[in-house]
Amino acid sequence: MKRRRFIQALAASPAAPALLAQQAVPQINQPAAPANAPLHYASSDEGAQAVLHFFNPQQFAALRKLSDILMPANLAPDGMPGSVEAMAPEFLDFLLSESAGDRQQVYRNGLDGLNSQARKRFGKLFADVDAGQADMLLAPLREPWTHDVPSDPVAALLRAAKDDVRRATLNSRAWNLAAVAGRTRGGGGGLYWLPID
Amino acid sequence: MAETKYDVLIIGSGASGGMAAYTLTKKGIKCLMLDAGPAIDFERQRVNKSSYELPFRGFGKPGRLSHVFQATEFNANQWVDEVQVPYTHDPKEPYNWVRVRMIGGKSLFWARMSFRFSDYEFRAKDHDGYGDNWPISYADLAPYYDQVEPIFRVRGRRDGIQQLPDGIFIEDTSGESEANRRFIAAARERGIPNTKMRTSMGRGQFASSFNLLLPDAMASGNLTIVPNAVVREITVDKNTGLANGAKFIERQSHREMHAGARVVVVGASCLESTRLLLNSGIANSSGTLGRYLHDQFYITESVQAVIPEARDGKSASGFSNGFIGGGGYMPRFRNLKAKEKNFLRGYALDWSTGGSPDAKYFPLYGEALQKAVESCRGAGFSCTVMGEVLPRVDSQVRIDKGVTDAWGIPVLHIQTRYTSNEFNMAKDAIATLEELCHACRWEVLGRHDQMFPPGYSIHELGTCRMGESPKTSVLNKWNQSWDIKNLFVVDGSSFVTGGSQNPTMTILALSMRASEYMAGQMRKGQL
Repeated sequence: MKRRRFIQALAASPAAPALLAQQAVPQINQPAAPANAPLHYASSDEGAQAVLHFFNPQQFAALRKLSDILMPANLAPDGMPGSVEAMAPEFLDFLLSESAGDRQQVYRNGLDGLNSQARKRFGKLFADVDAGQADMLLAPLREPWTHDVPSDPVAALLRAAKDDVRRATLNSRAWNLAAVAGRTRGGGGGLYWLPID
Repeated sequence: MAETKYDVLIIGSGASGGMAAYTLTKKGIKCLMLDAGPAIDFERQRVNKSSYELPFRGFGKPGRLSHVFQATEFNANQWVDEVQVPYTHDPKEPYNWVRVRMIGGKSLFWARMSFRFSDYEFRAKDHDGYGDNWPISYADLAPYYDQVEPIFRVRGRRDGIQQLPDGIFIEDTSGESEANRRFIAAARERGIPNTKMRTSMGRGQFASSFNLLLPDAMASGNLTIVPNAVVREITVDKNTGLANGAKFIERQSHREMHAGARVVVVGASCLESTRLLLNSGIANSSGTLGRYLHDQFYITESVQAVIPEARDGKSASGFSNGFIGGGGYMPRFRNLKAKEKNFLRGYALDWSTGGSPDAKYFPLYGEALQKAVESCRGAGFSCTVMGEVLPRVDSQVRIDKGVTDAWGIPVLHIQTRYTSNEFNMAKDAIATLEELCHACRWEVLGRHDQMFPPGYSIHELGTCRMGESPKTSVLNKWNQSWDIKNLFVVDGSSFVTGGSQNPTMTILALSMRASEYMAGQMRKGQL
């Protein structure tokens, strides 16, 4: 009997599982293998730079500046990363690229508006304004919270970015590492549902 | 057609289907249960992850589950995929249909708030003249609530509130924190009652059909469960006009099957049950199948306040120093004695102290925001408003023949919206809450009366309602089809009104009552 036909016949026989199992276990005494060193994995943010797709350079520079103001580094307690270290602006570029058009418009129109206001009032882009000038441009954030989204594009952006930048920072690998090191709460986590087959 | 092996075919394994199985199998009745979803091994299906490990840092994939506001990136896979099982609605009238397909159904994930209805619901028309009464009263259902509550191990406090009848509770003897006492006293001065939250404790991590009902039914030896069975049609014997089973499609293979039985019980969840009846073309001689859809509107984080005395870490010891923490439930208090306001019916308040207000409520940013958030950590007050929605004949679902799901089954078109009655009720609720906070000298950070779209509460009710007459209802007072006597619908679709209470205890009690009646009729040879 040819070998392949023999294997087919063997697999079809009632005793096949036991026979094949016997075949698969070589009875050779070997010295115990040395334990492997544990593998550690990095997140993409740790190992690489994001390729930006959504914002144009002026919009992204404004978002980066805004993020740094909204969520700076070394907020109490000392040593916690800020939004820039957490690469929140880069993450938001990705998130917005996947988002619905109305959400995209909030950011694009708002950042354009922020740059326009900065140029009109201070003769430079938002990325280049100083702290005092930025504070004036961010006045809508000092208004009491209302449920309705502001109709002004800059106010709408500031409201969205305040939430999104904070969340993107708190949920980042950088924040998680600092939290694990005991510098603050959180880092965010929970039970993840795997896809149902 | 296949041989009929089973006495009863039960479609759906959630609260209502599970209770039918629990009740019938204990009486020696052979049941076959079909569920569209799989059986879940919860230890293998869920893993611990950090937010940063998720593809979208916990924001979730944009556009996925756009109607399920409860969905997060962590739990997205537990909900029904809206692409696989779509539904339609007018873009101007959104409806959030939140669904679960797995053994145990939504009872795996409910908030466990466990209340009885009263005659303010069952006899609502007698009280205010609107709509219709149920064909039963509180006295008819009370004995079944008495049996359901011990199974689900409901914890609560007996307060003798007429509109929220007491039950068979595991007595909640916990005290009240100082902040809570102040809030409760301010409410009492205004005629607003309060009680402890009434919660199903269940067993282990669940208070579900999955662990409280189905295991006992299975142990009787009279239950067979077939998961992954997507039922497309209830079949009817042309000679007798009686239901004789159901056709279903295997979820993964798409193989079509037929299951036969003497009696058919539908408990597939409110709108899925009605969709099944509509697709089967049965039980609608009244023309009311699909109509009178209602739920409860929800306003979460309706009023956010800070309790000044608990700022700056003074809440840190919380419960131990007795100053802050815990919460309560204020049942409906409007329109009980007379028509008092510019709306019918009323709302309930689910409130708590000791939480931390979200950063968005502070008109600050940067370091100042962080300091404010830290200062107010554990010093917050928050409340969810849950309001009764009036059942209306034009709030309805129908089959959208132009759209089918992944198994080729036509989907639902849902048409409903909230109206001035709900909007006025919401305004009253927020004004009342703000007044209470001010009376307590708490600092209100934010307030709003914007309710989520219909469906958000996951308390969809009606569309296959019970009634006194076959001309105006689909089911009689035993949850039995007027048209097909061996067809029963035992879930929330049978409701006539919804009140402001969470409906699960009432669904369970109705299903038990209908099943006991069914068993009696079968024993007498009437079914």
